[in-house]
Amino acid sequence: MQILGPTQLYEDVIAKGLCTGCGACVGLCPYFVTHRAKTSMLFPCDREQGRCFAFCPRVELDLDEVSRFVHGAPYSGEPLGTHRQVLLAQAKGLSGSFQAGGTVSALLCHALQTGAAGAAVVTGQKDGLPDPRVATTAEEVLSASGSKYGAAPVLATVNKAIASGTRDLAVAATPCQAAALAQMGMNPLGREDFMAPASLVIGLFCTWAIDARSLAALAAEHLSGKAATRMDLPPPPSEILVLETGGRRVEVPLSEVRKLVPAGCLCCPDMTAEFADVSVGVVEGEPGWNTLIVRTQKGADLVESAIAAGKLETREPEAEAAAHLSRAAAGKRRRAFARAREQGLLNTAEGRASLRVDEQVAEKILTEES
Amino acid sequence: MSIAKHPAGERRLYMGNEAIARGALEAGVSVAAGYPGTPSSEIIETLAKAAKDADIYVEWSTNEKVAMEVAAAASFAGLRSLCIMKQNGVNVASDFLLHLAGSGTRGGMVLVPCDDPGALSSVNEGESRHFAKMVEVPLLEPADFQEAKDLTKWAFTLSEELRSLVFVRSVTRLSHASGTVVPGEIPAPRRDAKFTYNGFILDPMEGPVMSAPVTFKHGQQQEKLKRAEEIFEDSPFNTYAGPDNPELLVIATSACWLYAREALRMLNAEGKAGLLKLATTWPLPRKLVKKHLAAAGKVLVLEEVLPFTEENVKVLAQEAADEIGHKPILGKRDGHVPMTGELNPDLAADAVAKALGAQVPEVDPDYKTKAGQYAFFGAPNRDLTFCPGCPHRASFWSIHNTLAADGREGFVCGDIGCYSMAVLPSGFSTLKTLHSMGSGTGLASGFGKLGPFGLNQPVMSVCGDSTFFHAALPALVNAVHHQSDITMAVLDNSGTGMTGFQSHPGLPTDALGNEVPAIDIEAVCRSLGAEVRVTDPFDLEKTQQTLHELLETKKGVKVLILRQACALSPQRKGKKDFDMEVDAALCRGEDCGCNRLCTRIFRCPGLVWDATAGRARIDEVICAGCGVCASICPAGAIIKKPVSAQAA
Repeated sequence: MQILGPTQLYEDVIAKGLCTGCGACVGLCPYFVTHRAKTSMLFPCDREQGRCFAFCPRVELDLDEVSRFVHGAPYSGEPLGTHRQVLLAQAKGLSGSFQAGGTVSALLCHALQTGAAGAAVVTGQKDGLPDPRVATTAEEVLSASGSKYGAAPVLATVNKAIASGTRDLAVAATPCQAAALAQMGMNPLGREDFMAPASLVIGLFCTWAIDARSLAALAAEHLSGKAATRMDLPPPPSEILVLETGGRRVEVPLSEVRKLVPAGCLCCPDMTAEFADVSVGVVEGEPGWNTLIVRTQKGADLVESAIAAGKLETREPEAEAAAHLSRAAAGKRRRAFARAREQGLLNTAEGRASLRVDEQVAEKILTEES
Repeated sequence: MSIAKHPAGERRLYMGNEAIARGALEAGVSVAAGYPGTPSSEIIETLAKAAKDADIYVEWSTNEKVAMEVAAAASFAGLRSLCIMKQNGVNVASDFLLHLAGSGTRGGMVLVPCDDPGALSSVNEGESRHFAKMVEVPLLEPADFQEAKDLTKWAFTLSEELRSLVFVRSVTRLSHASGTVVPGEIPAPRRDAKFTYNGFILDPMEGPVMSAPVTFKHGQQQEKLKRAEEIFEDSPFNTYAGPDNPELLVIATSACWLYAREALRMLNAEGKAGLLKLATTWPLPRKLVKKHLAAAGKVLVLEEVLPFTEENVKVLAQEAADEIGHKPILGKRDGHVPMTGELNPDLAADAVAKALGAQVPEVDPDYKTKAGQYAFFGAPNRDLTFCPGCPHRASFWSIHNTLAADGREGFVCGDIGCYSMAVLPSGFSTLKTLHSMGSGTGLASGFGKLGPFGLNQPVMSVCGDSTFFHAALPALVNAVHHQSDITMAVLDNSGTGMTGFQSHPGLPTDALGNEVPAIDIEAVCRSLGAEVRVTDPFDLEKTQQTLHELLETKKGVKVLILRQACALSPQRKGKKDFDMEVDAALCRGEDCGCNRLCTRIFRCPGLVWDATAGRARIDEVICAGCGVCASICPAGAIIKKPVSAQAA
């Protein structure tokens, strides 16, 4: 793992427009800050190595090393990432304005209630912008339910919580955030306060996020100045983003939305948060249910315990639904690898790469049939 | 003892600006007005201190144009008046100046512009002399301290003889250096002011005062200049020293006369070269100059900054070519003398040596080497920076960080004051434009209208409290009226800080120490319809939060008044609010998570990097105890203890 400093991070990620605003570099030092879900560097810092560079999921992300750390094996190249089980799931005995089955809320609430996590970092909404926050009760978790679609600085909140002494965090994280959390866990610079930044990572499926400030502006434009209280991105072939506020519902064509996707999302190979303990997403044709991918032992234990406690209901998915999910995930990965290769960001021989992985695996991904 | 009390005939050490003030008092000046600006400010300050003893009126006006109008009113009422400003102040006053030249004056009126060759305390190297030529009024340039006094005094006599404004131009090395002066008598104060206006419209002393009918008055003005030239032919202030037929005639004006004398002595060239000191530089006394040109082999003109006299002499030489023959005239245009910067005896000697084909005596090489070494190893490398405890450092920290965090490539248009230094790293390179007084807000007003052309960056301006009244106010009115989308920060440090705490309309005390109504900047901005907030720049969090709100949520003109007195102001100087201390156990030094933020980026001179310990510490002697650095330390290692609480 190549670890450089903030100057290189700025050049490679922020200046190139690859930053997704995950917040991994924020809250560690006075130089990187997040404002309205966007990460900025206030002043140059000339350190040769920094946690900012080490944690960033968009520069020198070594998929093999991260995979070895999380899953004990190099990057497999499987479409859904290393996993134990793919299930359909829904929350039981929990009510909230869930995007689908409420599985993320159910697992976080259960983790808090059983002490598997001391606190949860979830993303609510404030002034039309995603608002990551620390939740310690079920009510606080539920107040943040529902998909946000805007890129959120979740890890800035994680860093802040760690700095104030909070441990055993459960984090609801998008794929880039899950990768960053894994890199933090690897603790390459040996910082004592980063020994175990998150005890549990609940991954969220993500095709791409939208620049949060632009999304808020887009919503305000379509909702006569009001912030959207709910958003939905129905699966293909719908090609729309649904915005809702106070009983009003508007559909925005995806062509308008895609322009607001940060370039950093377009070279992200991960749709299902492969470095999380479990990953959760929506299922086509099964409203009220989530897809749940169980990946690590910790994840399996949590799911098992939640089922046993009657907080979660699961069942096997239809074979075709699972195959469809795999195709979608493989498609995102192949497009991201192709773009990264085209831009010289994959396994870069001279200079810094965005992504590194065994070249044979990379070749396999790039030549997969669509 | 004020300068008005110094007895006549006793030798004194006067700063050039004090000599000018004394000259005005000896001329019986009644009213003096100006706007502060280096190197001119001490003239008004000296007169303000002497005002009670001399029984005169002195004011710091809102700007230079108003100052000249205030002084002109006294002249129209038959009194003698003085107006002072720095070089670029004349630009501000120039519209009235043009019309005043046309209307003429009554009581003697003198304008003293102090130019700043080399821009030692300016962001321009402007020349005021061209204004005298352009508006067609006489120009005098004193060469030493006695002459600064005597020529100023005589300028009033000349003004009354011509009924015209007269320029007396000074430069930094005359205004700010000191020399011996023998004062003269000061006349009794005048009590006979009256403005007469019922006479015939063309009567310069009894009719209404105006520049119309224009061509008639313009013709009169040119007659006045002809008369001035005649008077100048016999002026004792123009002197010549040297051989009757010099190989080289050096014509020097102002402080360059002293440099020229030193240069001729250094080169042992006094037998070959003659030195003509010209004090009456516009219009030129043609007969006098022609006589000296005819007698000389070639000519070298030494002056600062632009080739003003050089070009005038060249015109004269061309006109007189039949009588005096061809005379090579050397100076700035052919590169003998630098076109920018101050002159000094060495540069003068170089020019004279080149003109004579002589060698400048070599400096002892050993001396040169040692001087270089001492300068390199002995002199600490110091940046231009804000003082410890300066509210501007805190203000720019917040403005810079807010705009950087905002992430939309916002920028700040600046103008003139200590805060101009925010173009430099000491102000976090926050200012992206820097021009004249008030122009930051004018530029912002323009930038704020470029949205329809695709400019979607937040636009800010800054100005100081004195600058607010001087020239930012019309720009603010413009921005409000045209609904320009800007945020203006008024850095209100309660005084004209850069020039030494002169009064301005926002303060409750005037130049004479009288209690006067203070104009409330906040109320003025509100009355214009701007969204106004006031914060203490030392409260970084609140300031940044307020600025974010203004940048994000409000349209139109927003004004953020950052109110905190200058660390050198009488109310703050020498008083610490906090005793500061660094907890070495908490300080992260160069580690990841800080990397010397306080000494590498914030860089208050009161913070010192202890390289041996790898920790920051406070220089207690320099620290002003403002407490701001405690708020920037990411580790909470800088501790502030209230001074009063400690004493208890």
